[in-house]
Amino acid sequence: MLLKQEALAGTLESSDLFIRITPSDDPLEIVIESEVLHQFGKQIRATVEEVLDHLGVTTGTLIIQDKGALDCTIRARVQAAVMRAAGETTLDWEALK
Amino acid sequence: MRLRRSMLFVPGSSAASLSTAFVFKPDSVMFDLEDAVSLREKDAARLLVFHALQQPLYDGIERVVRINPLDTPFGHDDLQAAIRGGADTIRLPKTDTPEQVRELEAAVERIERDCGREVGSTHLMAAIESASGVVNALAIAQASPRITGIALAGFDYVMDMQTQRGDGTELFYARCAVLHAARAAKIDCYDVVFSDLDDEEGFLKEVDLIKRLGFNGKSLINPRQIELLHNAYAPTQEEMDYARRVVAAAEKAEKQGLGVIAMGGKMIDGPVVDNARRVLDRAAASGLRKE
Amino acid sequence: MEDLDFYTVEPDHEDAERREIKKLLGACDLLYEQGIETFVVCRDRDRLVACAGLQQNVIKGVAILPEYRGTALSLTLVSEITYLAHSHGYATLFVYTEPKNAEFFRGCGFYDLVEMPDTVVLMENTPIGIKSYCKQLQKHRVEGEKIGCVVANANPFTYGHRYLVEQAAKACDWLHLFMVREDVSLFSYQDRYYLAEENILGIPNLTLHPGSQYMVSRATFSCYFLKDQGIVGKCHTAVDLLMFRNHIAPALGITHRFVGTEPFCPTTNKYNSDMMVWLQDEVRGSGPAIKVVEIPRTEFNGTAISASEVRRHLYEGDLDSIRNLVPPATFELLKTKYVALVAQQG
Repeated sequence: MLLKQEALAGTLESSDLFIRITPSDDPLEIVIESEVLHQFGKQIRATVEEVLDHLGVTTGTLIIQDKGALDCTIRARVQAAVMRAAGETTLDWEALK
Repeated sequence: MRLRRSMLFVPGSSAASLSTAFVFKPDSVMFDLEDAVSLREKDAARLLVFHALQQPLYDGIERVVRINPLDTPFGHDDLQAAIRGGADTIRLPKTDTPEQVRELEAAVERIERDCGREVGSTHLMAAIESASGVVNALAIAQASPRITGIALAGFDYVMDMQTQRGDGTELFYARCAVLHAARAAKIDCYDVVFSDLDDEEGFLKEVDLIKRLGFNGKSLINPRQIELLHNAYAPTQEEMDYARRVVAAAEKAEKQGLGVIAMGGKMIDGPVVDNARRVLDRAAASGLRKE
Repeated sequence: MEDLDFYTVEPDHEDAERREIKKLLGACDLLYEQGIETFVVCRDRDRLVACAGLQQNVIKGVAILPEYRGTALSLTLVSEITYLAHSHGYATLFVYTEPKNAEFFRGCGFYDLVEMPDTVVLMENTPIGIKSYCKQLQKHRVEGEKIGCVVANANPFTYGHRYLVEQAAKACDWLHLFMVREDVSLFSYQDRYYLAEENILGIPNLTLHPGSQYMVSRATFSCYFLKDQGIVGKCHTAVDLLMFRNHIAPALGITHRFVGTEPFCPTTNKYNSDMMVWLQDEVRGSGPAIKVVEIPRTEFNGTAISASEVRRHLYEGDLDSIRNLVPPATFELLKTKYVALVAQQG
């Protein structure tokens, strides 16, 4: 999926995460800030990378401020951010699992 | 038989609420994609709900999704998210006619086939929010075999009636009409939200009223009201003892292959037994009523 | 779940809301600042309980009633204002706050950029903004004993700028020239950058850099652009200068900053003298000192050449007087584009 514009998703509220995704020509750069980075940093990154992989996103910058979000919230937020950045409104549900 | 005393509204756009609402143990959660979600967040809320539905956290709780009406740009996408996510029930807002239910039913079936979900496994629930909805309540309640309940929504209804919320007089006809429709169609019936979060006494008074009318329960936005509601619906020791005797008599009659149930020399009808089983279910769910 | 309602207010067009916002700010010991284009406000039923304003990409006027502090409200407020700014096309947001309130913003996704000790902290709402900017700068790093820097608006580029840059380049192993990016001058950023490119030809040890929001921008130095209103005294020139000292200079290894003497403009003059303090003196928590070198303005017919003089002649339609003050590239652009532009403005 091609990112066309900068997009935001999520909030800074507890149990949520805030994502800023910016298109670029460089390979994916994922910056994760989290109060639980030490414990869950790897897991969060793995989830984010998996979602991006399913959506075919290979370039761009993602800044993620995690506030202790569950795995399902991370998936939903990353997908929402990518859809918004791609200007895509019809969802391919098979790719979203 | 499923208990439907409490249906807790959870804003579909709130990650925090979606991750925690199960702790309040409502009988049903209603993930809301409609009024609680701003236009900006419709897309994101749909995804949050889609993933939250697949969480094991809500096992044992009926998972309802309130979609946007199908004639909005959001309704059909909401439906995809709900059915593919595994929602038990779709709540259709602003139901005025049985045709709306049939349209929803057809759309649900298409998606079930597309995603390989068992056809018919998604239940429907219609919210009645207008004078026409109340007048058409029976036709709505009988519009589809998938319908398991109807709910009265007070806010839009009183506006449509050109009045406002007050002591309940303004809802009297609607409550009775919707409830009769539900009972005639053999489905469940939910009462309106009680929105003054601080007025516990008023809430309990309203619960007492709707319980006596015969509602299965209420829609709620405040999780603190769940325990109060469940307690109000819990049986007393007396009711419980009586229900036990009824059920025991019914089981005995069944074992002996008798067509007639008798207790203390008196004959008991089927509805009495059903009612007794409901009492035992409520007791099992939240114990005896605490005064 | 509280019954809180968040929405946007344009204070210039909504009198009743503005009055309430003023009252709320007053209750929190804050002044209502003019120039805030939009506020996100939060109402608990009928009561206004929190607000946060936005002036382009700078957050201002943040107030939350005491009984609502420390709740999720603040996080929603900051999330909402971030979305609002994004919808206006601003990615990174900045906020100025007293050091004692910095912790609040850290909890809302802001990161420290620079602190003027005991006075003010500038923060941005991204963990990688300044970092990735400096990483970009580092690619242009040239090692040497004396690495100089000039930051110019050059509105437009004159012989004065050329002289300053030449002198500075001669005095250093390498010179970095930054063009102020903020587009609030008569000459557009694009044109100012183009003229700089044309007019530095022949200087071998120089890198020309585009400006950024981290130097002489609305974010670092918002009052500079309001200098006609004479409120420069209230500005935190220190923030801009410490940003330079702590982030930009280390990225490029800059040891000297060159400026032209300023005989005319009090704002620029104050900026120059503040430079001596904030770049050269010991400042708690700050990087190594940068030496400030003032170069006397070059003159024509006994008067220092200045861009404001050039603009004055331009407004008077006096092209002949300009010819001796600016290099040919500037003169050409003035003649072909700006004479007509100025005439249009009346």
